[in-house]
Amino acid sequence: MKEVMRLIKLFLNNSWGISQLLYNRKHNKKAYKRQLMPIIIVPIALILTYGMYLTFMSSLYIGLKTINQSSVYLSIGYVFITIMILVFGFMYIFSEFYFSKSMDELMTLPIKPRKIIVSKFISILVIQYFFVGIAFVPMLIIFGVGEGLGLGYAILSLLVFLTIPVFPLAIETLVIMLIMKSFALKGKKDILNIVYMFLIIGVIFGVQFFMRGQLGSIGADNFQDALTNLLTNEQGLLMIIIQYIPLSILVAWSLNQITLLSIIWIGCFILISLMGSGLMVFIGEKIYFSSLINAKNSKKGKKLSAQAQKKELGKMSHQAMSVFKMDMRLLLRTPVYFFNNLSVIIIVPIYIVFSLSFMQLTLTDLSDLNGFYKEMPMLINFIFIAFFAFFGGTATTTATTFSREGKGVWLTRIIPVSAKDQIIGRTASALIIQSLGMIFTLICVFFYLKLTVSSIMIIVFIGLLGISPILLFGLFIDMRRPLLDWDNPQKAVKNNMNALITLFVGMAYEGISIGISGTLGYFVNPFLGYGVYCLISVTATIILYKVVNNNLEKRLLEF
Amino acid sequence: MLKIENISKRFGNQSVKAVDGISFEVKKGEIFGFVGPNGAGKTTTIKMIVNLLKPDSGKIVINGIDNQVNILDAKKQFSYVPDNPELFEKIKGIEYIKFMADVYGVPVAERNNLTEKYLNLFEIKDAINDPISSYSHGMKQKLALIGALIHKPELFILDEPMVGLDPKAAFELKKIMRSHCDQGKSVFFSTHVLDVAEKICDRIAIIKKGKILEVGTMDEIRTKAGSQESLENIFLELTE
Repeated sequence: MKEVMRLIKLFLNNSWGISQLLYNRKHNKKAYKRQLMPIIIVPIALILTYGMYLTFMSSLYIGLKTINQSSVYLSIGYVFITIMILVFGFMYIFSEFYFSKSMDELMTLPIKPRKIIVSKFISILVIQYFFVGIAFVPMLIIFGVGEGLGLGYAILSLLVFLTIPVFPLAIETLVIMLIMKSFALKGKKDILNIVYMFLIIGVIFGVQFFMRGQLGSIGADNFQDALTNLLTNEQGLLMIIIQYIPLSILVAWSLNQITLLSIIWIGCFILISLMGSGLMVFIGEKIYFSSLINAKNSKKGKKLSAQAQKKELGKMSHQAMSVFKMDMRLLLRTPVYFFNNLSVIIIVPIYIVFSLSFMQLTLTDLSDLNGFYKEMPMLINFIFIAFFAFFGGTATTTATTFSREGKGVWLTRIIPVSAKDQIIGRTASALIIQSLGMIFTLICVFFYLKLTVSSIMIIVFIGLLGISPILLFGLFIDMRRPLLDWDNPQKAVKNNMNALITLFVGMAYEGISIGISGTLGYFVNPFLGYGVYCLISVTATIILYKVVNNNLEKRLLEF
Repeated sequence: MLKIENISKRFGNQSVKAVDGISFEVKKGEIFGFVGPNGAGKTTTIKMIVNLLKPDSGKIVINGIDNQVNILDAKKQFSYVPDNPELFEKIKGIEYIKFMADVYGVPVAERNNLTEKYLNLFEIKDAINDPISSYSHGMKQKLALIGALIHKPELFILDEPMVGLDPKAAFELKKIMRSHCDQGKSVFFSTHVLDVAEKICDRIAIIKKGKILEVGTMDEIRTKAGSQESLENIFLELTE
């Protein structure tokens, strides 16, 4: 047990960088402040969103109470939390069990695999409690207060809180171990990662479209009526999901009414969760190390002939082109980078097609829409430009460009590539991603709205011009404060404040520039609106380019 | 070729300087060894030379170019192989070599010849189309060496180059270092392997706690130490 506790402490320390934080507090104040900043800023930035979440959860409870269905409230909560754990848990499980470099050392130590698995699992569980605390505890409180339940409920709620992430996380860990054990996946963990991430997005889309379909088909005028219909429809998918997830029913039975039976139900809930994790440990003990070795194997390339080698070394490329190619390779071949930067090219167009198809537009609607476009093409074009500009504001490709290189950044710092070529190479990859996103989206839109070629060119050209300052701002921020000290590429993007800062600044910038130019274009003259937007974009691009160009070489000395 | 003038470096709020006002010079055509115990300041000094760390004070001139003033031109003069080369894992070996050849503007014929030569010499030809993530530590080091040698740098800087290399590769590297200097270029490297330093270096600097204790040829160091013993013995006496 002591060994397990020590390992848990070690894993948590490693994941959260606690020792580093304490060291920096004493010896490196600058790094300490940089480490503390996200811990302070992220919660502040999310206060509003969290407020909305709490309001939604309260409304949901009140809605269910009104139709005497409050008993399914906690079941819904369980399903929601389980999905959340499965989504977030995947990357944590992969990071801790398969990406963590500490395993190379641990595997050679005389520690039983069981102890390593249990410790790793508990260290992930601790992180999951944080999410469960934020998302599920308010539901427990809302329900308890709403139903007027007392101390017994509070104690049982605490047990539910402690048990709730165990089962889904254990089963997910087991499934991942079994998949990684599969010989067919040897050296293909990157592909598995990308497929899983798209699957998750598919599930999220699916749920969203299902809800929209259910709510839309019943012709409800307001949320409350729609919710009533959705929940009282016994054949509805939501009810079926709840009925077929026995643990969600156990949670509801345990807490809906506090009786002696509640203790039995909660005992069953805890027992099933323990059995799930026991099964994971039992099977994991037999397969984890071999699955880890499978995962560590990289897919080998074909041997190169002398001719092929010459071809690969190829023609001389310009420095900017070399930087661009290297950046693109890292983006395409690292799953988490691919998903964060390139998946939008696929996801946004698909989302738009599905959304439009769910709107069930009639031929008359489409004819009206196309007629409106023919009457006011400049307005429609500008709406698209504004959409892509805001969409571009969410791009974090340049905001993590140096951070993504991690400890390998030493190479970027010593090679004699000018600031100009670094800027061109690194923004080019972001611009290409953005333009592909735009083109694919416009192709999808084309099925509904027959945009002319000139419109498409104007939208793409001005859209890219509008995005350029944001991309350069991202580069500027990442040049100022790159996040290089990470042991897992996920941290380079997910824990990176630069992405968040660029997102906020980009949104604010686009809000102002589109606001000003849109107002001028609508009320004074459309050409003036376009002109002002281009002028603002060009000016901001030039200023930011000069700032980055003048400082990059010096900044590279100080990473 | 390389002139270090009174450079110092302190990390964070630490009271002791990692490098404390050191000065020395590496001449054209010489192999210069930098030896010292762990934590003496060898890697910190090297990192300041290759622009990975900024000195708090002092000046570093590479082939007549101040590396803090004319940064880009200074970078063109040297190549560097760290003790633990962290290379982009998702890149193939051949792509890494092409990248290095491109950023240093190595002509096609020359890059083909040198790549072929070094791949055979370091015996990693069969792995060159594999992702770097599949490489062992030694293979990564060999690839980093090829990337550093492909543009025939004026100053070749290596941090603990023998660690991780197999005996044949270490032997070949020593030959490469000598032939590099024979062409009028220079090599500056740090090492713990005192035997290697004694055998192949034209001059040696011994550093301890951020300060240079001795600089000179082996004979000069022996004379100053008043002993005809090996570098190992002199080193132990000086650093105790």
